[in-house]
Amino acid sequence: MTMKNLIYILLAAFLFTACNNAEKKETEVENDLAETKVSAENKELPELSIYNLPSTWTTQNGENIQLEDLRGNVLVMVMIYTSCKAACPRLVADMRNIEKQVPEGDLDNVKFIMVSIDPETDTPKRLKEFSIENDMEDDHWLFLRGTPEDTREFATVLAVSYKKISPIDFSHSNIISVFDEEGVLVHQQEGLGVDNTETIQAITTEVSN
Amino acid sequence: MKNSKKTKKGLIVGFFFAALFAGLFSSCEKAVAAKEDPESMKVYGESEAEMTAPPFVPRPVGKRAATKLIVNMEVIEKEMEMSDGVTYVYWTFDGTVPGSFIRTRVGDEIEFHFKNHPDSKLPHNIDLHAVTGPGGGAESSFVAPGHESVFTFKTMNPGLYVYHCATAPVGMHIANGMYGLILVEPEGGLPPVDKEYYVMQGDFYTEGENGERGLQAFSMEKAVNEDADYVVFNGKVGGLTGDNALTAKVGETVRLYVGNGGPNLVSSFHVIGEIFDKVYVEGGAMINENVQTTLIPAGGAAIVEFKVEVPGNLVLVDHSIFRAFNKGALGILKVEGEENPKVFGGKIEEKVYNPGTSVSGVTEEATEGGLSAEMSMAEKMERGKQVYTQNCLACHQATGAGIPNAFPPLASSDYLNKDVHRAIEVVKFGLTGEIQVNGNVYNSAMPKQNISDEDVAAVLTYVYNNWGNNKSEVTQEMVKKVK
Amino acid sequence: MKTLIRLAVCIAVMIQSQAYSQSGSMVEVKGGEFIPLYGTKTEVPVGDFLMDVYPVTNAEFQQFVESNPRWRKSQVKKLFADDNYLRNWKDDLSLGEGMLPNSPVTNVSWYAAKNYCECQGKRLPTVDEWEYVAMANEKQPDARTEKTYNQFILSWYETPDTYKKTIGNTFKNYWGVYDLHGLVWEWTSDFNSVMIGGESRKDSTGDNNLFCGAAAVGATDLMNYAAFMRYAFRGSMKAQYSVKNLGFRCVQDVEKSEL
Repeated sequence: MTMKNLIYILLAAFLFTACNNAEKKETEVENDLAETKVSAENKELPELSIYNLPSTWTTQNGENIQLEDLRGNVLVMVMIYTSCKAACPRLVADMRNIEKQVPEGDLDNVKFIMVSIDPETDTPKRLKEFSIENDMEDDHWLFLRGTPEDTREFATVLAVSYKKISPIDFSHSNIISVFDEEGVLVHQQEGLGVDNTETIQAITTEVSN
Repeated sequence: MKNSKKTKKGLIVGFFFAALFAGLFSSCEKAVAAKEDPESMKVYGESEAEMTAPPFVPRPVGKRAATKLIVNMEVIEKEMEMSDGVTYVYWTFDGTVPGSFIRTRVGDEIEFHFKNHPDSKLPHNIDLHAVTGPGGGAESSFVAPGHESVFTFKTMNPGLYVYHCATAPVGMHIANGMYGLILVEPEGGLPPVDKEYYVMQGDFYTEGENGERGLQAFSMEKAVNEDADYVVFNGKVGGLTGDNALTAKVGETVRLYVGNGGPNLVSSFHVIGEIFDKVYVEGGAMINENVQTTLIPAGGAAIVEFKVEVPGNLVLVDHSIFRAFNKGALGILKVEGEENPKVFGGKIEEKVYNPGTSVSGVTEEATEGGLSAEMSMAEKMERGKQVYTQNCLACHQATGAGIPNAFPPLASSDYLNKDVHRAIEVVKFGLTGEIQVNGNVYNSAMPKQNISDEDVAAVLTYVYNNWGNNKSEVTQEMVKKVK
Repeated sequence: MKTLIRLAVCIAVMIQSQAYSQSGSMVEVKGGEFIPLYGTKTEVPVGDFLMDVYPVTNAEFQQFVESNPRWRKSQVKKLFADDNYLRNWKDDLSLGEGMLPNSPVTNVSWYAAKNYCECQGKRLPTVDEWEYVAMANEKQPDARTEKTYNQFILSWYETPDTYKKTIGNTFKNYWGVYDLHGLVWEWTSDFNSVMIGGESRKDSTGDNNLFCGAAAVGATDLMNYAAFMRYAFRGSMKAQYSVKNLGFRCVQDVEKSEL
């Protein structure tokens, strides 16, 4: 065996953990299932659930969470970056408008989530400031930041496109997505300041389910 | 965001003009004000739209109520013939150029299922000019290979509309054949006619020059310069001639739905030997009568109607005439039936005319060129076919069958086979007067063909070695001798 | 324990594939700056990296699904691959009729391609990286102004069924990479950075207030319609899509390879 091959083995061993994370996790879940009683949380995920995505995110409060930790909530998600001066303030306003129209009693079961497409700039500290500036401090507001790679992958699930076009600016699509309690996409609205009746209806329908 | 100001300004100007128009037309608006608003028209039932390949159109809507209409369309990229020996990779709606004809009525709710074949290399979409909405459906229909997108719209305005692909680079998608027509009939349908056909003009840009054989690639450079190699009806040279010719019978009223896909050229649509009794100008509601040539813009359409009173071949052309005779924009509507001398008497006499003066400065001299090298038999056959296609086919037809009572057959022709020198004479100098061919009498005129001796030899060799003739080979020497 | 066994299998498979697979080989691409044909009007930097010499083949992907059952077509999650995933395969582990082991693998989703590369210790190239390498012809690192280069690319866009060819069929470019043009489209890690929607005409009107900083996004050279088509293709993709004419290859950062 040559030196080169040895390196490859080492490399493989090193990388395996990264590439098969998801599978390992599944195995653990299986074991859990065998040993403990089946709780709702451990019910098999629908194939289209975003909780199939294994990734870790940091919140505006500096906590690390798995997407799956959000399971059981209806999610309203949008991708923004805090230094954006053009579309994002309007997207944020759109989110706020939606939030205002969701009945108070439903809000406990809904999370309004802003995912940063600029994780380099949007540190947890910056996200926290942003949430204060925008008066989005209630528990149902969540700001998430991940690795550039996980962010890109997450965007593919939302069918959001974005591109860094200068050191401080991104171009991006303006899509607000609603996910049901199992993490399956149920509704999307595209555009700025568009009629949000259907979005709100989707949220209330999912909450009452 | 930056541009929002500019857009607003544009909108205001737009509104201004809209208001102006509304004012201008308010008087005639009143007349139709009683009609139902298409938006609030109720739809009854659901059906799948009949789709037809050109030159045919689906059945008229007639008196049917507005309905939910399912339209299925598939994008297919495939190599097809552009002209004799010339092929091209067309991008098509439903495998034909133009794409399938879609027929609807005002108030229909269209559910459009737009598919892109898995073999496609590229994403595509469709912008229907009949759609009221962003991009004419372009964004909603954008679809990757092996996928399908579904979008809906309501037909708000009656008329004949172009649809086309609007994916980047837009010009190229259109230049490759991605266009077609959608008809929105008014309530109660268009008045019935005897024959309806679907004709669409398009211009094509190839790396090789017109006629250069083999698979030809698209030339962006020529397209940008609007330097078309082919201008054709229904996707190819000969798309409406020979076996593809349209037909009608004497006494019938013919309606042509004519579109122009472009991408660049505007069509001066004309039918040689007819006058349009009616033209739905630009495919809209305004009807003009007694029109000779109607202008069809790129990305526009017109409906023309005429009653055919006499038999014969009517020739559809873009009257920007070099396009017709040199680039392919030529089609035939074959009208069969009884002669009608009241309408057209034909030639009744021909005599010598000699005013006894001479127009100075013009001396007629036969060109006495030397002989070029004699072609081989195979070369003659190939060259001959081209010469035939360009000079003879329109009258004597692709199979040499001729046209009864008008142009004598060249296939198994006793007249030809009897005397090769006479045949050369006819091609070189023309022929008028009565002749008998295969037992039938013909009395028409064939003009002298302005082609080189070399080409006369080639085309006659081609004719003699086809369609059951006696396989003579004609040489330049023989042609030269006939004087 | 189970995990350990799987680890061993994965390593074994990888050694094997390294041993005989020609497309396991990579070449180094020296980074630099260039102005892509779409998306920006300024120079973008590209770092040094290694790129697979060939696109990933059917045979290689077959091995991958053997050792990674979750990417078999019967087991793949809908979130990660649509119904066209490995569409022409006879079953989970065997290629369909007429498919050659040495042809580029197609009908694979972005997620599958990405994970394949990760399992090799590699990653998908970015759009900029891919375009950077793909602007080379045999002799020059940037042949975009060469007529013959553009014609070659266009002619493959217009040739049907090129995905059936085997790897190594086209020219070896300046960097030593084959088949970037001529066989299949290729996934890129940030394919969804392309802002071409279905309504491409908006892009040239500038009336594009849907996008932040839209003014900066546009083609640098509209005449280069070959590249435009490539970007339009990316713009039409979603990550779960599996397309007959779309394959992939991997790249690797230089530092990582020197581990």
